[in-house]
Amino acid sequence: MYDETRAENGSEASNATSKSRPAVADVVGTSVLGLVGLFAAVMGLRYGVTAEGGQVGPGFLPLVTGGFVVLASLAELVRMFFFETTTYEGSFMQVVEEVEEEAREAVAEAGEHNPELDTFGRTSGERRRAILLIFGILFAAVVLIPVIGLLLALTLMVMSILIFVERKSIVVALVVAAAAFAVIYVIFVLGLRVPVPTGMLGLV
Amino acid sequence: MIDNLILGFETAVTPENLLWCFIGVVLGTVIGMLPGLGSATGVAILLPVTLTLEPVSALIMLAGIYYGSQYGASTSSILISTPGDSSSVVLTLDGYQMARKGRAGAALAIAALSSFLAAILSLIGLMALAQPIADLALNFGPPENLAIILFGLATIVSFAGENVLRGITMAAVGLLVSMVGVAAGFTTARFTFGSVNLLSGLDFIAIMIGLFAIGEVLHQIHRGGEAPIRAGFKDLLVTRTELRRSVAPALRGTGLGFGIGVLPGAGATLASFMSYGLEKQVSKNKAEIGTGAVEGVAAPEAANNAAANASFVPTLALGIPGSGTTAVLLGAFILFGLQPGPLLFEQQPDLVWGLLVSFFFGNLLLLILNLPLAPVFAQILRLPYSYLYPLVLFLSLVGAFALSNNTFTIWVVLVSGLLGYFMKRFDFPAAPFVLGLVLGPLLERSLVQTSALGQGNLFIVFERPLSAVLMILALLALAAPVISWVFRKLRAQRKHGRAASPAVKNMS
Repeated sequence: MYDETRAENGSEASNATSKSRPAVADVVGTSVLGLVGLFAAVMGLRYGVTAEGGQVGPGFLPLVTGGFVVLASLAELVRMFFFETTTYEGSFMQVVEEVEEEAREAVAEAGEHNPELDTFGRTSGERRRAILLIFGILFAAVVLIPVIGLLLALTLMVMSILIFVERKSIVVALVVAAAAFAVIYVIFVLGLRVPVPTGMLGLV
Repeated sequence: MIDNLILGFETAVTPENLLWCFIGVVLGTVIGMLPGLGSATGVAILLPVTLTLEPVSALIMLAGIYYGSQYGASTSSILISTPGDSSSVVLTLDGYQMARKGRAGAALAIAALSSFLAAILSLIGLMALAQPIADLALNFGPPENLAIILFGLATIVSFAGENVLRGITMAAVGLLVSMVGVAAGFTTARFTFGSVNLLSGLDFIAIMIGLFAIGEVLHQIHRGGEAPIRAGFKDLLVTRTELRRSVAPALRGTGLGFGIGVLPGAGATLASFMSYGLEKQVSKNKAEIGTGAVEGVAAPEAANNAAANASFVPTLALGIPGSGTTAVLLGAFILFGLQPGPLLFEQQPDLVWGLLVSFFFGNLLLLILNLPLAPVFAQILRLPYSYLYPLVLFLSLVGAFALSNNTFTIWVVLVSGLLGYFMKRFDFPAAPFVLGLVLGPLLERSLVQTSALGQGNLFIVFERPLSAVLMILALLALAAPVISWVFRKLRAQRKHGRAASPAVKNMS
């Protein structure tokens, strides 16, 4: 009887997760935050918590805030492992959670034209690769700034994303990137007179 | 008040400022409409473009983007069941249902009219409240300032939604990030790891560009983008019955939205959810809500507009942002050498009142733009995201460079972007983080000043009446979720106990 009630409660509360299996991302994310807090607190001690006359020193706020982050992260981890996620029963935020869930379902329902492929025509595996690729291109573009200059590096970035991620033709990518370059050049270089780095090439 | 309004009119009604207001609201409508581009993203990426403008013109335009996006966001929720911004998520329920019944035009019109009504009423509230609060805050000493910032941070907890602890942790991490560099009043370099670039701290606008623009783009790719426009535009006219049914929900939404928007940490999104929940309980036609009822469009749409305006009350009067986007706007003020807060009302009344009066014209323009032209604007939804996002990335990175003329800022944007992506993907909220980031330097300054005033004794915050009240409120806001959680647990246990005892009897 007791178990049945619990099971029912669990299925009704859509955002409740089983107490034995917190999501890996939640545990990792919270632990990372806790470590950041710990680092800040330790550094706070080194910077000097109090200054002359017992007044607040440069390390005070890092220590207090870092310590708070550590405690909050620990409490969150304990909650994740030992308690069921709150179901908001009786809380005024319950209304918000319910409406949010309803809206989420409505959005998902409307979008169910082809659950396998997204609107870019990518599967979930391809999506993950796309994110990696985009970030790689972004990183490469920023590394290239001192060599070919800011605007050229970023124009190349737009082209590369369109060709390699979005699979557009080279001509289309070239036209879009050139148009983007022209607009940005007019706004930032001619309009705002931003001294954009031209890199070793020294072109634009 | 009248003098201030006249001063505001004189500032806002110049051809130049009206033009920037127009540009702002048009851009806001478009940005709001496009899924994957929210108001915070829009303001963050366009902020660097306004660098050479007069501060008042720039702020009029940027604020126009903010409230304009509240109008635009509803259009995509109604037409493609995809919210353009989080504050319009709830419109995917009744708004989209109306569109499916061929009442897309009516839903758009109801949304625009409720938005306008809410915007004007909340603007009156904003004008009436901001000045007295600023006047009161003029008498604040360091302990009061410290208490009000802590109160602002604590209210985040009450509104952090599903994960209260995570919300406040993110705010604290935001505070930590704000401590990088040499703080005012100290000579110690903190968290710089020997880097000269970090000595002056991390540019928080660059972080916001990273979080809201790069992070959002990556997250959209992860989600798989949005479906193209589907709805048609039959029956553009609203019936008289629909209009009549919308008035009370819109007024309720306005009241609720304003009340929520005034609090730091609780923005337009929460207001729209709560007002929809309220309508489900109090509306005369509550049975129809969820199936395409006008009440489900009017109330949340009014609430998000009212909350957007209301969030300017703490931003302008106290210098404490009421929402994520107003945090970015606060960054704009600082970029122009202005510190929002009580002194701004005294020293720059033309700017403050010019900005507020421009809201009136902006909303009038938005009504004109959205009422008959919403279907025209909706064509923007045909713009494929695959072309849009590379351009957003380009603009974000060049804009970030323009802020500081330093390539290091671009690295800050890139790292924040990656962080923003993971935060979005794994539900670590960005708004409390940004509030912490913005409030960090103010918090530390008032902390140091309070400590000096009390000769090392920080407890003087409890010795002065106003700061004591605020501190108690802050502590209550912090403790409320924990207390209510404990109560709920106890009640649930009692319920289980009652349910379990007969079973035990039967077994024996």
